Amino acid sequence: MGAVGTGVPRKEAKDKVTGNIKFVGDYISPGLMHARLVTGTYAHALLKNIQTAAAWRVPGVKAIVTGKDCSFLTGAYLEDRPPLAADKVRYYGEPVALVVADSELAAKQGAEEVRIEYEPLPAVNSVHDALRPGAPRIHENLGEYRRVKPVFPETNSNIADRVKVRKGDMGKGWAGSEITVEASFHLPQSDHVAMETRCVRAEIAPDGRVTIHSSSQAPFVIRKLISRYFLIDTGKITVIVPAVGGSFGGKAAVQLELLAYMASQAVGGRQVKLVNTREQEIISSPGRIGLDAEVRLGATKEGQLMAAEITYLVDGGAYSDIGAVMTKSIAADCTGPYKIDNVQCDALCVYTNHPYTTSYTGFGHASYTFAIERTLDMLAKKLKMDPWQLRRMNAIAPGDTSPTLTGLTTSNLGDTGKCLDRVKQLINWDEGQVVTGQDGKIRAKGLSALWKTSSTPTDARSGAILTFNPDGSLNIGVGAVEIGQGSKTNLAVMAAERLKMDVGKVHVMMEVNTHAHPEHFKTVASMTTFMAGRAVLEACDDIIHQLLSMASIVLRCSPEDLDVAGGRVFLTDNPNMYVDITELVHGYKYENGNSIGGQVIGRGSYIMRHLTEMDPETGKGNVGPGWTVGAEAVEVEFDPGDFTYKMLKAVAVLDAGKVINPRIAQAVVMGRMNMGLSLANREGLIYSGSGVVENASLRDYKIMRFAEQPQYTVEFIETPQIDAPYGARGLGEHGLIGMPAALGNALSAAARVELNQLPLLPETIWSVKEGRP
Amino acid sequence: MISFDFEYYRPDTAAEAAEIYQVLSGAGKNPLYYGGGTEIITMAQSNQLKPGAIIDIKQIPECNVFEVRNDEILIGACLNLNQAAEGNLFPLLSKTARGIADHGSRDKITIGGNICGKLIYREGVLPFLVADGEVVISGQNGAAARPLSEVFSQTMQLRPGEFITQLKVKRSYASVAFFSQKKTKQAKVDYPLLTVAALRQGDDLRVAFSGLCTFPFRSVNIEQDLNSRDLSWESRVNNALGRLPGPVLNDLRGSAAYRLFVLSGALRDMLTQLKGVGENVSNA
Repeated sequence: MGAVGTGVPRKEAKDKVTGNIKFVGDYISPGLMHARLVTGTYAHALLKNIQTAAAWRVPGVKAIVTGKDCSFLTGAYLEDRPPLAADKVRYYGEPVALVVADSELAAKQGAEEVRIEYEPLPAVNSVHDALRPGAPRIHENLGEYRRVKPVFPETNSNIADRVKVRKGDMGKGWAGSEITVEASFHLPQSDHVAMETRCVRAEIAPDGRVTIHSSSQAPFVIRKLISRYFLIDTGKITVIVPAVGGSFGGKAAVQLELLAYMASQAVGGRQVKLVNTREQEIISSPGRIGLDAEVRLGATKEGQLMAAEITYLVDGGAYSDIGAVMTKSIAADCTGPYKIDNVQCDALCVYTNHPYTTSYTGFGHASYTFAIERTLDMLAKKLKMDPWQLRRMNAIAPGDTSPTLTGLTTSNLGDTGKCLDRVKQLINWDEGQVVTGQDGKIRAKGLSALWKTSSTPTDARSGAILTFNPDGSLNIGVGAVEIGQGSKTNLAVMAAERLKMDVGKVHVMMEVNTHAHPEHFKTVASMTTFMAGRAVLEACDDIIHQLLSMASIVLRCSPEDLDVAGGRVFLTDNPNMYVDITELVHGYKYENGNSIGGQVIGRGSYIMRHLTEMDPETGKGNVGPGWTVGAEAVEVEFDPGDFTYKMLKAVAVLDAGKVINPRIAQAVVMGRMNMGLSLANREGLIYSGSGVVENASLRDYKIMRFAEQPQYTVEFIETPQIDAPYGARGLGEHGLIGMPAALGNALSAAARVELNQLPLLPETIWSVKEGRP
Repeated sequence: MISFDFEYYRPDTAAEAAEIYQVLSGAGKNPLYYGGGTEIITMAQSNQLKPGAIIDIKQIPECNVFEVRNDEILIGACLNLNQAAEGNLFPLLSKTARGIADHGSRDKITIGGNICGKLIYREGVLPFLVADGEVVISGQNGAAARPLSEVFSQTMQLRPGEFITQLKVKRSYASVAFFSQKKTKQAKVDYPLLTVAALRQGDDLRVAFSGLCTFPFRSVNIEQDLNSRDLSWESRVNNALGRLPGPVLNDLRGSAAYRLFVLSGALRDMLTQLKGVGENVSNA
């Protein structure tokens, strides 16, 4: 049968391309009510008064919820965020009130009538501002916040978390370094810009049962938090995700769900829909971290990396949310995929009066990779060494250790060297990094290597339930969400492979329902194929065991004599003696009516193994089950006259372990590469001096369009991860990680300046060239 | 979603439109003429505009003409930018129009609406400024053609109740050498850092700009500098940079200093492309 490795189309493809798929916001029902957010207009200000009288006068307005109506704080690691601002607003666009009405129009009209009086406070407008002595405190009670998971906020500061990595001996590292290079970097915050803005429907039944429909990557986390904050048994809460129209990490955060619940509560449990406008999506809901970095690398004259001293300042915005977790993840992989024996890294999650942040494809890795890979190119220049050669000779390999001292093996680490070798060929590196054309235009190439492990909680888990239809086709039920990454199709492919059946006869339920499906931690971290895949394979084995055992009775033999394939259970030595699985899956019935066996239901589960928290002083710990590695390159055509450029080619070679579905893998990696280039070449939130976001609309916040794409090449190396399903490594995010760095290196080479900030606009290059601040 | 109610009218004639305007205005409805609606809709969504009534002029026949009559090209104010570009009766307009917004939006944005809009760019007016265009203004007292140079100063200078039905340029402008360049911050589809539209009339260059100041403009002074044949290109461009009619924009699309850098590059490109008769290239 052999489904693994073939290009099976996505199971949901036709529904998506025909527009038949229905998202949370597409549903209307009789009695549905609508909520609208009122958001703050200062980056940092005391809330003096919220006047709602005029809003109440709008016909159709049924409830107005403010921060006074909710007394709890929420957060992923550190509970620092009120669902609605109570005493002060800490970022521009922060939700302050919620107007619930019987029509969308009335909700909007009501929201426009809410009057808020502020007393402006000085805004903290950068991580450096935040760390300055005497900087305004964004959270006065930082020391008193409840910690849900390991996190180390520093009282009387704007530091939400500090993560330290101490590997080897820095004294020795610097002593052995003949050449050193150091540089600082600045990357702004940005937005996910998913096509579907976040949307939730919530209702509370008369008996207290709560149903939440959400466009979410984390339905089981929503269940947990609704239970935690509103004191409802998890069994009485059902969270349903019908479909997700793009997420990129942004929909792993729980925000609107808590608000929608409060809105429903305020109107007697009626179903309420809350949907972000695009502007709210960009500023009010969490976006992507910013990063300021300082990197110092030391190497021998021959180019062997000896020491790395790194400071990463994560601009997590006004609340820590997942920013704190990303800070850990950045610290854990802080060097990129290079063997460096002496490493000191301090990663800080810093509060600013910017919109708060959450996970984003790459989980911080694209940001620090920009800093590391740019520094490597600067080091190569100083060493008068080919940048590719520098990377190749220092590429991390089995036998080395990660910055957090995890031992690396041929299983938990892909082959960085092979990826670099192949990228070198594909980008035609030997032609020369910089080639000047007859028209004066400069063609230049830039490289980046990359790696990433998953940084999940140590007990992250998944499960699968498999059932059959009377026609012998299989249903897969898992708690992982299809977010465009093709995971559900991959699960079908793996089940078809294991059960040796036609993948067309494997059905996946796109919707996730927390009451019907086994818990899956969150659909994040490129871990669905790994975690849900392990669970599905275990469930397949469970099914095979049940089928063989029942068939052995029917066929009067030992289960060991039997095999399953093509919808039959048959004697291995005589396939003509068989029983069709349609006769088995709902119990076998003899001619006289006697029946045996009952329904065949497959059960599988998976929980992460051997993961540990990072040591607070040294960072030592085992943060993920394996590293996906890769190498990427970008070729640009640069006009030295006006500093504009075209991106001609983008190449990625990732060690996939095993490619489950080449078409989906190519598409996912290519999509991520596009995101990485878009981030690097144009995206970023822009703040006024007082911290107001000035480009909170798609008129002003630009993402790459189809016509602006370079030519993409995506290839895979296959070094299997032994404990992964069919050897497949996580692949969902990695295509993005090296793109900004590769573009930065290409343009730095083309323009002959060090470009250490994003986005790489023509004006950025011009101002660095001109030596402007 | 627009939070407020408003009345919608769709007159069949210019006279009817003007009459409806008078009535609505008298009733305090604060009416607006409506073309493609892209600005009115988006600004109304955020309550930056709150008309009590809109008067859709797209059904008025003269607003939809697109033809050469005698020695003039007539361009209805309600042609959308794609129609204006694809009909290609006035190539400088075609090229400039194609640089505005994206294809989907250009199906809605009308040339008249673009010129009369609230956004500061109004790039659609540039080709008409350099081609000494005329504009037909309709109002209560009927329609009259006026030179654009008299009625466009930063914005269209319309009296209450007036709207434009047509634009006109001499047919000869369809065949002159022209230059149209749009520079953006990065994205192809964006408001301009700078849009330049220029043409060569005889030996003289005429040039108009958008994105540089808070309004589009054509400047006689700048044209004099650029046409100073006794000077090198470099000097001409430098002189022109010193004669801008207002402060250079300094906003999230680009700093003022960078805009000036982009402007000098664009002017050099323009001079290269539209070299005057007898121009000594070595001057460059």
